[in-house]
Amino acid sequence: MSERSDVLTARRTRAQLRPLPTEVRSGGKAADRSRRRPRGGGIGQGAVILVLTAIAVVALFPYLFMFMTSFKTNRQFNDSYWIPTWPLELENYSTAWHQIQPYFITSILVALAAIAGTVALSSLAGFLFARYEFVGRGVLYGMIVMLMMVPPVASLIPMFVLMRDLGLLNTMTVLILPHIASSVVLATILMRTFVAQIPQELFDAARIDGAGGPRMFRSLVLPLSMPIIGTVSLLTVIGVWNDFFWPLLVITEDKLRTIPVGLAFFKGQNATEWGPLFAGYTLASLPLLLLFTFLSKYFLAGVQGGLPGTGK
Amino acid sequence: MVSPVAERPAAAPTPKSKRAAPPKRHFPWFVYVGLLPLFALLGLLAYYPAFSGVYHSFFDWRPGFDSPFVGLDNYREMLADDLWWDSFKNLGYIFVVSVTVMWFFPLLAAELVISLRSERLQFAFRTILIVPLAFPGVVTVLVWSFIFDPNDGMLNQALDAVGLGSLAHNWVGDPATALAALLVIGFPWVASLPFLVFLTALQNIPKEVFEAAALDGCGRWRRVISIDLPLMAAQMKLLFFLATISVLQFGFAAYLVTGGGPDNATQVPVLRMISIAFQGSDWGYAATLSTTLFVITALLSGVLTLIRRKENSDVRAL
Repeated sequence: MSERSDVLTARRTRAQLRPLPTEVRSGGKAADRSRRRPRGGGIGQGAVILVLTAIAVVALFPYLFMFMTSFKTNRQFNDSYWIPTWPLELENYSTAWHQIQPYFITSILVALAAIAGTVALSSLAGFLFARYEFVGRGVLYGMIVMLMMVPPVASLIPMFVLMRDLGLLNTMTVLILPHIASSVVLATILMRTFVAQIPQELFDAARIDGAGGPRMFRSLVLPLSMPIIGTVSLLTVIGVWNDFFWPLLVITEDKLRTIPVGLAFFKGQNATEWGPLFAGYTLASLPLLLLFTFLSKYFLAGVQGGLPGTGK
Repeated sequence: MVSPVAERPAAAPTPKSKRAAPPKRHFPWFVYVGLLPLFALLGLLAYYPAFSGVYHSFFDWRPGFDSPFVGLDNYREMLADDLWWDSFKNLGYIFVVSVTVMWFFPLLAAELVISLRSERLQFAFRTILIVPLAFPGVVTVLVWSFIFDPNDGMLNQALDAVGLGSLAHNWVGDPATALAALLVIGFPWVASLPFLVFLTALQNIPKEVFEAAALDGCGRWRRVISIDLPLMAAQMKLLFFLATISVLQFGFAAYLVTGGGPDNATQVPVLRMISIAFQGSDWGYAATLSTTLFVITALLSGVLTLIRRKENSDVRAL
């Protein structure tokens, strides 16, 4: 409200005193005021908060409903659909855990292996591309960047045939290797950019102290690259937790299913047992939610295609 | 976006520092050894499949048996495949919705967040609004498929509760509403890349611009139209192309919720390709379809790269 009168005053001032912009600019009070309310405008703060809250409630309601229902028996679900009930049916969680536990373990193992592979390959490649001059550097790097343009679905069919020919269907390998191959592309680009920005003085100092390439990689590049390694790892985990078609097609053995495909089958088995079903969904969401809670900055960087520092 | 940043520091210091042998050509063998594992993996699992897909699109591909060369037969078959082209029509709808309605709410939310005076509140709302991103995509889709459930679903129950039970509907089972239902998943779509991009862009607009506008008596709506949107044109262009590319990959929500049905009302290219390969065992034709998707995406990505490059130079010129 006061904001509006501000604007009004400003407009009047401007109309009356054309040649006085310096005063407006240098006037301590004016600058002070504008700093306090940098981007107001005609809308009241209360209304803004109200609308944002409404949007947030609408967006989160399905998940809250899922969480609430995960503690209900079928009877509680039918009797009081919209409200939480007592007592909490914790049984749902043990039922669900019992069924999705293998998917969980597989997903975590696949994620860990994929992270290890991706980080190892991309950090080394990033270091070499960023810090060494060699014949074919541009071409080789270009070949990696080019892969950013190959959509994952496009290689689904030939990759499946390849894996079948290699006799790798229904193994951990068939889950892990393609993940490394797809996440290593962006990871290498990110690592190279990052390592290229490490000040040259550090490398010179290390060289003077007698460090060779491997030593510089181990004691200089790796420790300094931890933030980007974190981003890369998160990207890989998110990838494993969201990849659907590949595990769906290459895995038929139940205990090798990853979370996404496992949940789809889990749903098939529990048709309308909403309590255990939603308990399972909740459990499956936990790892990413935890990562989001504690590493939200890297998480966002991951979502935005690995551009750390975007957003506050 | 990446190479110009990387190029400078990497290229400049090398001549000065005394690594490798300075005058002759650089052939440090250990670099190639170090890169070998990466390229071996990519060769097997990235380059080879891409080439194999394109190559086999000209064959009657029967993996494990001999596959006769059939020239352009598969492509001719594709041209006559109504289901395939219909699935692109669906993609068209999906695309239009995903760059209009699906941008409106993120834009609204970003403008509102930026209008908050307190930095702390800004941060709190931004964080709350993107929480849905932290849920696995499968969970989101499965929860929404519950919302549309004809008996127990939230949507029909809500309609019942407010006395509109007659509107209750088998949302995903009716060809008339199935595609719309799929698109509603994730409503109001604020937990998304567009929101983050809009918000970052708005936060990066210098305060002076807004102050000058306010001094000139520019109201809040006027500011959105005349300042915010034009200043975000670059980001919009980027998002627009990213949307075309990601829409081409659309499939997994459709697979989980409708399976492409009912009556192919939600058929999309990815699902068609998979069903041809895995139900029809027509691998050559599936390779043709996947090559087509590949080429379209690659072309779009090429355009995207060009746009990005131009943008970078624009920025520097300012």
